Amino acid sequence: MHEKKDPIIFSSYEPREGLFDEVFEDNGSVKSIYKTLFDLYGGHSVNDYENLNNKAKASFFNQGITFQVYDNEQTQEKIFPFDLFPRIIHPLEWEIIEKGAIQRSRALNLFLWDIYHDKKIIKDKVVPLDLLSSSEHYLHQMMHLDPPGKIYNHISGTDLIKHSDGEYYVLEDNIRCPSGVSYVICNRTALKRALFGVFNHYQAHSVTNYAGNLLQILETVIPRGVDNPNCVVISPGRFNSAYYEHSYLAKAMGVELVEGQDLFVENDFVYMKTINGPERVDIIYRRIDDAFIDPLEFRPDSALGVPGLFAAYKKGNVCLANAPGTGVADDKAVYTYMPEIIKYYLDEAPILNNVHTYRCSRPDELKYVLENIDKLVIKPVDEAGGYGISIGNQLTKSEIEKVKATIKEHPRKYIAQPILSLSVHPTYIEEEGSFEQRHVDLRTFTLLGKDKDFVLKGGLTRVALRKGNLIVNSSQGGGSKDTWVLKNEA
Amino acid sequence: MLARVANNLFWMGRYIERSEHIARYLNVNYFSSLDAPHELSQSRQFMLRSTLFMIGDPVNDTDQVLDEEKVLFNTALNQEKDYSIISNIKSARENANSARDLISTGLYEAINRFYHYVLNYDTNFFVKKGLYDFTVHVTEQTAVLRGKIRGSLLHDQVYAIIMLGINIERATQIIRIINAKYHDALLATGSYGDQVAHSFEWTTLLKCIESYDMMRRFYRKTPTSLSTLEFLILNGDCPRSVMNSLNQIYRHMSVLDKAKRPAKDSTSFLVGKLRAEIEFTKVESIECNVQEFIQQILEKLVEISQKMEKEFFNY
Repeated sequence: MHEKKDPIIFSSYEPREGLFDEVFEDNGSVKSIYKTLFDLYGGHSVNDYENLNNKAKASFFNQGITFQVYDNEQTQEKIFPFDLFPRIIHPLEWEIIEKGAIQRSRALNLFLWDIYHDKKIIKDKVVPLDLLSSSEHYLHQMMHLDPPGKIYNHISGTDLIKHSDGEYYVLEDNIRCPSGVSYVICNRTALKRALFGVFNHYQAHSVTNYAGNLLQILETVIPRGVDNPNCVVISPGRFNSAYYEHSYLAKAMGVELVEGQDLFVENDFVYMKTINGPERVDIIYRRIDDAFIDPLEFRPDSALGVPGLFAAYKKGNVCLANAPGTGVADDKAVYTYMPEIIKYYLDEAPILNNVHTYRCSRPDELKYVLENIDKLVIKPVDEAGGYGISIGNQLTKSEIEKVKATIKEHPRKYIAQPILSLSVHPTYIEEEGSFEQRHVDLRTFTLLGKDKDFVLKGGLTRVALRKGNLIVNSSQGGGSKDTWVLKNEA
Repeated sequence: MLARVANNLFWMGRYIERSEHIARYLNVNYFSSLDAPHELSQSRQFMLRSTLFMIGDPVNDTDQVLDEEKVLFNTALNQEKDYSIISNIKSARENANSARDLISTGLYEAINRFYHYVLNYDTNFFVKKGLYDFTVHVTEQTAVLRGKIRGSLLHDQVYAIIMLGINIERATQIIRIINAKYHDALLATGSYGDQVAHSFEWTTLLKCIESYDMMRRFYRKTPTSLSTLEFLILNGDCPRSVMNSLNQIYRHMSVLDKAKRPAKDSTSFLVGKLRAEIEFTKVESIECNVQEFIQQILEKLVEISQKMEKEFFNY
């Protein structure tokens, strides 16, 4: 029951022209898949909705899904912004995403095997040699090393967007330590707690089966001679911003969450220090970057890793997931060759679209980029988290000149893509007390094991909370939404 | 279980238990002093000194006048004081954080809710009006946490470690509270017979350890020094006695150390020895040197805790 003076939440929703709205048609009517949901939400008054929103927030605090912010000498705990209005994905649309994600994961895995062995793809001149030789993430230590089960990228996060043409495009593949999957699960939990009634009207796929599948995948890549593998998750520790996720995954898999200091290597075997003495470790799902996993082999100043771990890995006595050196393949320059890579290894056409990319390392394309910066997004090839991105049409003249100079100095370091228009989704804006259009993307999670694969039916829909902002990363002020993949058409 | 994580769980148990005892001590002491029969017991200053003595921040200057609101704030909500209730709960949560994969979701959420409750408690309201509400909520939340520990964790080594923390802390706090109240009873004596033995402070002591009702049922008499000490130290049926805590420590220790005859330098050995000593002690023999006796127990509990650290938490 709400009073008359209390407006309903969609009353000031203003669709802007030229944007692809996930919920509304161009003529303002609600898309059929969202119809029931819109009716269920639309009846809420701003006050009611504000209450629900606060409940959802409390749910995150109580679940301890927070991160620390340091300001004015005081540490504050904050939650990642969560939007209660879910994103729905049609089962047919999902089928394509799922197939496409697996295809990319497989192709990237074969690519990694190849470049760390015979380098056929380079000999065949499908991709240029300098693509590898100039990559910071290429690890010569991985040459001719066979990871258990021949798997490199056990866990991949594929970032997709929907363009104004209504089609999905892959923005990037993340195959180092992709994070965010725990938010998929706690977004679902928070939504269920606040608005359980809506689930009576939609049949969404469960997302809680991720950890179980992850463990099964990891157990397909066990080191030789191990029957009953002991799997652990290694984390940099509780001050890491993804610590919640690390602990969640360990708990949900029922395995130990360890830190570097809990492990040691003896005679090329890895052990953890338990209250009953040393216990052997066979599979390590590592959430520490390559450079930090072993101070003897990589960065000597790393206190997060385990001395001797890489030697044990080299001997085949322990499996690391993902394998070291995968970063060379999720580089934004490699991304531009994905259609060729898929064709080369799988002899298939890519199922998911790649965004057309201009490589500044090629003189002709560099020329185009320098002349058309105002129409392009310039990205460094090896930065994660949305850092270092310049969006051409938001730059002043002097900024454009600056960007030009940086590109000319290190052309290999930059790529450019047309400014894509991310689709928008109605998102509740607290300060306004109403729903507004905000840009969204979608990160999917794909698991690859020996003769087994899995794609989580759902994903992390990230929302750029600032008006007009296209960058959705949480480090840049993004929020997220629960994402429903429907079992059947609504 | 990882040695590092075991250490964290042990301290999680200790901090949870500690915050309960501080909250109850504050509550019982404050409210029983409001209409206490003895003039000194009724004095605000006496009560505040007793509180600071118990939490380990004693005031030695007899002329110093304490600021009630400041003492209350320091004891409960001052994050800069290590002994405050909020610091204890914060530490409990931090320890739980680093063992989050091992404890149940229900337990972790309860600790978190508890933490946010304390964190968001209004200081001004607390010192003026909220003392009762706050302290009762804290003791209740610790009961919820113990319920979650008992009811939502596998009773394996993880559980044993937490219970060891809880019970070592409980025995320690009982001793500290007895010590504080013994001290008070010497000053605020009763009005007849053996005046220390009949001090009103014995009743307060029992209430501070939530054992007054049990004690009345057991003895059917007004508490005296002798019966109170016997009940709180030696009576194994009282769940808040030193004896009972030691029985539990002994039992949970056997989950970690399965040796039938524990090695001489093991924690198990120390626990068994202290337990046997208390079991075969009669109250008459400690009556005349109470302080020395409880001091000895305290030292042995510290020794057990240090031994545990060496034997199990070495990482």
